[in-house]
Amino acid sequence: MTAVIPNILRLRDDVVSDGGMREAILANAPAAEHGFFGVPKVIE
Amino acid sequence: VSNLTDLGVAAIRDGFRAGDFSAREVADAFNANVAGAKALNAFIVETPDHAIAAAETADRDRSEGNLKPLSGVPIGMKDLFCTKGVQTTAASHILEGFIPQYESTVSSNLWAAGAGMLGKLNMDQFAMGSSNETSYFGNVISPWKRSDGSNAALAPGGSSGGSSSAIAARLCPAATGTDTGGSIRQPASFTGISGIKPTYGRCSRWGVVAFASSLDQAGPMAHDVRDCAIMLENMAGFDPKDSTSLQLPVPKWETGLSSNLKGLRIGIPKEYRVDNMPPEIDALWEQGIAWMKDAGAEIVEVSLPHTKYALPAYYIIAPAEASSNLARYDGVRYGLRDLPDGAGLQDMYAATRAAGFGPEVKRRIMIGTYVLSAGFYDAYFTQASKVRALIAQDFDKAWEACDLLLTPTAPSAAFALGEKSADPLAMYLNDVFTVPSSLAGLPAMSVPAGLDGQGLPLGLQIIGKALDEQGVLGAGLAIEERAGFVARAGKWW
Repeated sequence: MTAVIPNILRLRDDVVSDGGMREAILANAPAAEHGFFGVPKVIE
Repeated sequence: VSNLTDLGVAAIRDGFRAGDFSAREVADAFNANVAGAKALNAFIVETPDHAIAAAETADRDRSEGNLKPLSGVPIGMKDLFCTKGVQTTAASHILEGFIPQYESTVSSNLWAAGAGMLGKLNMDQFAMGSSNETSYFGNVISPWKRSDGSNAALAPGGSSGGSSSAIAARLCPAATGTDTGGSIRQPASFTGISGIKPTYGRCSRWGVVAFASSLDQAGPMAHDVRDCAIMLENMAGFDPKDSTSLQLPVPKWETGLSSNLKGLRIGIPKEYRVDNMPPEIDALWEQGIAWMKDAGAEIVEVSLPHTKYALPAYYIIAPAEASSNLARYDGVRYGLRDLPDGAGLQDMYAATRAAGFGPEVKRRIMIGTYVLSAGFYDAYFTQASKVRALIAQDFDKAWEACDLLLTPTAPSAAFALGEKSADPLAMYLNDVFTVPSSLAGLPAMSVPAGLDGQGLPLGLQIIGKALDEQGVLGAGLAIEERAGFVARAGKWW
């Protein structure tokens, strides 16, 4: 089965439809630092 | 009006429009019931201020002659729907404290229609369960009690158990639910209320915490069929943000309600006569058949030969999709982070997921990961997808002989909390009548039809063709009119 209900996968114009919401995206991060998601050190 | 919380959606809407009461009075009455029902544990978060703000807007709109479809109606919102500024957890620890910065399309549609929110309803964790015993925030308890005086706490069904318990206890006149394998219909059956899962794609999944994306579908739960129709009209609709959303107009289901089934053929699938079905459920099904005939329908026996493979296929496909969807909970962008001393990134992922997911969620992630693994993908996932296509074909063949199907909703009445939680397979069997229509994406609803020997509600299920919510609602109404279901849980909480 490829589709539950026959449906056509729509295409939309290749344009930016949202963005500019860094604060909102970081609002729930356990550790947001300097406008980025903070994670433990991954390289020695 | 003596008791506003006895009213359903249509009665509140119409009484408010007629000036019998204010929206504020309605919101205050339901807020008071919510505040007084902590023993049911139906809500994870209560939002009386949201309900009051919507009510004040509704009262102002009424004075300005600017009424909306749900002006004056407060509702409950299942905690699977992201609500801007209000904690949304899917009843999990891993999302505890998550405050969405956006609103799900379905909830947004309801607020735009004038509804207010009484709170976020408890549920099975990530909608995985049939009894509301997997919530991180504790079991929801059904307002119903067995008539034998045993006083056992009963399951409200799941996963939309907060929704079903709250409506049955008159904490809200209606609520949103979601249905992946029966999570609207089975809890509705357990608590003597109505609920409809529409055709897959009718309601946008955008902003709904994902469980199994090819099966998840939102729908309303309420006291009766008309209230479900009103709610569904204000939840459904095309949404460009969901690639599986159906680009179709929303029918006027309430206006189109008709319980006259003249000329319709109702199919009775013989494979649904399962072993060990309680005689009361069999008898109720026979009663339902008689009601359908009385409403003018012709009864035909049909066969859905692959029914017995539906549950095994479902419990491969749903966990497979869940294991993929739930990979996003990594402790980086939102939700819980468990960072042991000196831990690296990989350790953090593992610790976060070990601490954040409950046992049933972990079980399904592991099953799903296994059936998608390189060596077993074809043997399990591909095979289950093929079975799913056969199940959908069964329905297509049945529609050559009938227009709707009538079945019981669940193989038993509500069981006691703890009675089945030790045996996952016994729990999964609860979905035996609801899973096939989910796999096929078809609209299906449960309406209360009678009581068992213990005084507990039993529901009948109507399954329809894709996009035929109108037919499903009509047959549901025919049952409702003939069942005359007025039983209510006595208040003990």
